[in-house]
Amino acid sequence: MTSRRQLLKSAVLGGGAGVLAATAMGSLGPEAAFGAAAPDIVPGAPDPNFAEGRIRSVKDNTLFVLGSNMVFHRIRVVDGTSLWKLGPVAFDQARPGDGLYARGVRMPDGVLAAESVWLNIVNIKGHVRNITSERLHLDHNGQEIVCHQVPGKSVAVYSDAPPSADLSLLRVGQHVQVLGAWRPDTNQVDIATVFSPH
Amino acid sequence: MNGIAALQPYVIGPLLVWAAVLKLFGRRTRAQAGRTALARLVGAARAVPALRLVGVLELAVAAALLLPPAVPAEGAAAAALSAGFLAYLAYARRAAPMSSCGCLGAHARPVDLRGFARAGLLLAASVAAVWAGPHPVDAPLAALGVAEAAALLALSPELDHAWLMPLRRLLVRLRRPLAVPSPEEVPLEVTLRLLYRSPAYCSASARLSSDVRETWDEDGLRFVVYAARGRAVVFAVPLGGEDPAAVRVALIDEPAVA
Repeated sequence: MTSRRQLLKSAVLGGGAGVLAATAMGSLGPEAAFGAAAPDIVPGAPDPNFAEGRIRSVKDNTLFVLGSNMVFHRIRVVDGTSLWKLGPVAFDQARPGDGLYARGVRMPDGVLAAESVWLNIVNIKGHVRNITSERLHLDHNGQEIVCHQVPGKSVAVYSDAPPSADLSLLRVGQHVQVLGAWRPDTNQVDIATVFSPH
Repeated sequence: MNGIAALQPYVIGPLLVWAAVLKLFGRRTRAQAGRTALARLVGAARAVPALRLVGVLELAVAAALLLPPAVPAEGAAAAALSAGFLAYLAYARRAAPMSSCGCLGAHARPVDLRGFARAGLLLAASVAAVWAGPHPVDAPLAALGVAEAAALLALSPELDHAWLMPLRRLLVRLRRPLAVPSPEEVPLEVTLRLLYRSPAYCSASARLSSDVRETWDEDGLRFVVYAARGRAVVFAVPLGGEDPAAVRVALIDEPAVA
């Protein structure tokens, strides 16, 4: 791992540049950027390349997921799959019980080969009812949701300023939007980003 | 005991007058009547007349309680009204759990335990008021009255903005519960936002085929690695930096895992 990192480091610090030359990556013409065909989906029909639900079990590199509409999905996680759980994580972080959104390519055998998997991701709007030690108590349509500040991970975005690790400018009574990771079967969320309008 | 009974009309009465005035004359209350559980009970079109009717009832009971002479029927009427409130809250909780009760003016909070506690306290006070008679006021009795009124107000979510929110803001200001635990620790999200704005990322983003694969900190820089169709793109982002132009990028063939 160290030598791999050394290699990557010396590549970017030695030969690295402020921008990549267009030719370094092959054609950057618009036909390449927009080359991917638009998804061929009838409006109103479910997107075959998308799955949501909760993980029932994990076997080898396959997630067995029961959708909220009781449809069963098999989702294969491959080398190129990006997993998110309060940040980029490795496959071993996917646990039974986790909620999930996955996007990828549906294989002929019905397995979804995932490009991206988001575990427990939630996006909540609400009013800050109270702030206690490293917790925001959110009123979301009358339901209390406890949002935990995770040191080194949680950031706040005030208006359109760059994100900051400092959440202390949040005030009781204000409106916020929280992007975070749900703790399964609780009303608790770990904060990834909290957006404040001011 | 007589004293406590004699006190109750002067606790319930003002609360009922206040509730009635808000229902009869509060413009916001009427505007939001459609969103209360009352609208569910009687229909949205009849919500405002129903709200007015309740207001008139409250005003009548309050007037009977506050004006002499004290007769047991006044307490009984107040108790019946309070029992009605409790039944209405139970209905609201079951039939329209997301609606507010519309008891003391407009607010968006659904019926919760505090609402039941307030209606229960009102019912207990109303029952006690049945035995109300003339009684001299002394200091302990006055203190009890103030405490009862304070309890009724504290149980009213409509008033939270007047005392609970400033109190919590003050506590937050004193205790600083969200202070940054260790300022030198830079969350990945901060780095990524700087990265996304950099010319280096813009030049490479079209060909990235993964989310962040790997990241580590070294020499004041944060290295962020993405996959790019069998190759690797590595960015070096200054930790704590603010200039997107300082981000450097390299595209290399994926090194064999050592």
